[in-house]
Amino acid sequence: MSRRFVATKVEVEGREEIKIVERPDLEPAPWDEHAALSVVGQRVPRVDAPEKVTGQARYTADVQRPAMLHAEFVRARVASGKVTRLDCSRALALPGVRGVITAEDVQTISHQGAPLFDTTIHWAGQPIAALCADTPDIARHACALVEVDIETSPHAVTIEDALGPSAPAVRPSGNTPKGQPRIASRGDAPAARAAADVVVTREYRTPCVLHTAIETHGAAAEWTGDALTVWESTQGIFQVRKDVARAFKLPLNRVRVVKDYMGGGFGAKNYAAAHTYAAVALARKLGRPVRCLVDREGEQTDTGNRPATRCHVTLGARRDGTLVSIECDATIAYGYSGWLASPAKIFHELYECPNVHTSETFVFLNAGAMDSFRAPGHTEGAFALECAMDALARELGIDPLDLRRRNYAPADQEKRRPYSAKHLDRCYAEGAERFGWTQRRVDAAESREHARRLRRGVGMASQIWPAGGGPPAYATVRINPDGTVDVLTGTQDLGTGSRTVFAQIAAESLGARLTDVRTVLGDTERTPYAGNSWGSMTTASVGPAVRVAALQARARVLEAAAELLESDVAQLELSESSVRVRDGDRSMTLAQIGRKLGDVMIIGEGSRGANPQDTAISAFAAQFAEVEVDVETGIVRVLHVTSAHDSGRIINPTLAESQLVGGIIQGLGYAVFEERVLDVATGRHLNPNTHDYKIPTIADIPVIDAFFVQSADPVANHTGARGVAEAPIIPTAPAIANAVADALGVEIAEIPLTPWRVLDALTGR
Amino acid sequence: MASRQLRLIVNGEEHSVPCVDSETLLTVLRERLQLTGTKLGCGRGECGACTVLVDGRLAYSCLTLAAGCESTPITTVEGLGSAQALHPLQQAFIEHDALQCGFCTPGQLMAGVALLRDTAHPTPTQIRVAMSGNLCRCGTYAAIERAICAVAERSA
Ligand code: FES
Ligand code: FES
Repeated sequence: MSRRFVATKVEVEGREEIKIVERPDLEPAPWDEHAALSVVGQRVPRVDAPEKVTGQARYTADVQRPAMLHAEFVRARVASGKVTRLDCSRALALPGVRGVITAEDVQTISHQGAPLFDTTIHWAGQPIAALCADTPDIARHACALVEVDIETSPHAVTIEDALGPSAPAVRPSGNTPKGQPRIASRGDAPAARAAADVVVTREYRTPCVLHTAIETHGAAAEWTGDALTVWESTQGIFQVRKDVARAFKLPLNRVRVVKDYMGGGFGAKNYAAAHTYAAVALARKLGRPVRCLVDREGEQTDTGNRPATRCHVTLGARRDGTLVSIECDATIAYGYSGWLASPAKIFHELYECPNVHTSETFVFLNAGAMDSFRAPGHTEGAFALECAMDALARELGIDPLDLRRRNYAPADQEKRRPYSAKHLDRCYAEGAERFGWTQRRVDAAESREHARRLRRGVGMASQIWPAGGGPPAYATVRINPDGTVDVLTGTQDLGTGSRTVFAQIAAESLGARLTDVRTVLGDTERTPYAGNSWGSMTTASVGPAVRVAALQARARVLEAAAELLESDVAQLELSESSVRVRDGDRSMTLAQIGRKLGDVMIIGEGSRGANPQDTAISAFAAQFAEVEVDVETGIVRVLHVTSAHDSGRIINPTLAESQLVGGIIQGLGYAVFEERVLDVATGRHLNPNTHDYKIPTIADIPVIDAFFVQSADPVANHTGARGVAEAPIIPTAPAIANAVADALGVEIAEIPLTPWRVLDALTGR
Repeated sequence: MASRQLRLIVNGEEHSVPCVDSETLLTVLRERLQLTGTKLGCGRGECGACTVLVDGRLAYSCLTLAAGCESTPITTVEGLGSAQALHPLQQAFIEHDALQCGFCTPGQLMAGVALLRDTAHPTPTQIRVAMSGNLCRCGTYAAIERAICAVAERSA
């Protein structure tokens, strides 16, 4: 018998991890392209939409507990220094103020790479204390009464300042992490470049951008004896449970983390952080429930970001467009901490090329920590790679789409393994067709001949992103005595639609009516483990577990039905919540079976099996954009985006397309509007709000045609689904920048494409 | 800070609530009346998550002092419709998937309802102008526009 527990590779946001997994009891046959499915693949409405449109959906900020108090942070206003005096006496004297916590109360807990409430200041906006009061207003008022003296020291908030000869030490261990630069190489890129017919070299810059979920981070904490409940707006309930248990030295079974609804995450809400720890510590200290919501300024400053990058790119090619060398030297402006999300990785993956060399230097700054932001690394790297590809296409006089097709990578060259499936070629073909690539290019060029002021252009880009998901993930499916079905799984719905897609998978697998099925998630005490909702992993990780659980419940209920219908399991069919005897007229609904069984429960359990070994599982897309640039004002308007995606089987096209559109709009913000601005002199954040930090509004959005090429992927996992949500943001900025270059005849190598940047480029500054 | 009783008429119901003069309508709705459908996104009049109707007019409740709303009719998302009897725009939001996380949705609905009340058949430009004070980070804008158009068409 094969072993039950095995080690397998799992890819999370481009990182590879080895995990021990348990083989499921059942590995059902995959849903291939011939599978007859009636609920999976349907455009059913989001199951939790009624709660959301009526205001009944409860988010973390909506949690009300008896006698609950409210906490707010005191934050450092300088980027580097030492707290010499922290006097809370005036604040504590304010009526309604109940308490304070500082570094002493939370020793051994860390936040964004530093001790929580550290008295050494590493970035402006770092929390130094939390005040707790009867209302948020009083707590805020109290924070303003805290007297803080900070002896400032020199800071570095730019790459130049942090790497310069007289750079201040951002971290005692140095201003770059160990092992820098990080080199990855195959073949001999410099030699291949020397022999290339054509070489293009460019330097690209991308900005630091902020997640800006409309719901900020927040937590509410309540102790009952030695047990703790935390309501948290999080992408990972089990991760937060682990973080909190470790921080407060609690057994895992004394910590319950609940996340019912959340107002967006986009990568910033994967761990417990200052607000979580402050709520828990204050609740323990004061003996009352405490809620701590991060305010908008704190959200924009201290909850993660996509770091700024500088990428020096050199491409070498033959006259016919075949790439012979790809080189990238990237510098990443990292903030005080984070993880090493790689902008270079996509340079190794997207195109076939035997000679690739990349080098990455991550730089610590006295600024808010980096954190995962929708397709971290690839989004930054894709801007540089895909703009450089267009520069090469111009140099060679080749259609940019043709150039990309000519360098198609049929397999994963990095690890020398096949893809579970890859239909990027169809994305190119169907995307170009629906966009009208050839005609639009001609039309745009013609319109430029007589348009003086408003100049049109078209551009494109493509992408690859790891999207296989993987174990461990568990689900339980229960059939209640009235025939209704519960699907329990410890995952999260960020607004992605996971409640809906798991109900669909369960209904399909079990043979139940969708309206009878309800998904319960987001509660560590009620649901079995599932991992964080990151890395476009949720559907591909949890879906197979749900399917197995539903199949097991189906097998059990059929056994019960065989007894009740005096038949044989092999003779029974289950669909639409009803069991029928084949070739007969006898049948029973699940509700009738449930009534007969009384309180005997039908329970199925499922887990996620291992991924196929030595197989790359990725999502692919090709994106096309048309823009109009006003050469007098410098304003870039994006008119049209077409995006063709291959993500395997799509469980619910409506919800999945919503993910695509949302990613494209975030990508548009990245391309045209968004940029965190730090004051170099003081290190302070100058636009920590949603007025000066511009995210797209309804008035900014183009016509968006985002769709999936039809496919099933029976190799990736037995549902055939791969990840969706991160892929669409990756190619948007380069597609738009390439369209702007087409419109103007001038390349702008830095985003966002703000009016002044466009005007500078036009005047050659 | 002086606290006093405030007479508020919310979704047709009268309430007497304790309130401090400096408190916003958003705070009183959410923390005193437990009407948590109205959301706090920025507290600075930038995102629109807190949008309600005060005396029939759109207002950012985070910038509106509760004390100034004494005896004035207020409508929040909870007053638009219920799960059993949805407002046509709520229905259209569901049909067009005009929500993802749903956090901006109550504010979007209030702005959309006010628009449709004043302009039965808004042009795309009118929709974009009227709705541009409501941010959505999930990117539901195109679907919101479709939902508003669908309601307008039905009321032909
Ligand atoms: S919370 Fe009122 S506008 Fe943002
Ligand atoms: S639906 Fe998430 S912010 Fe709009």
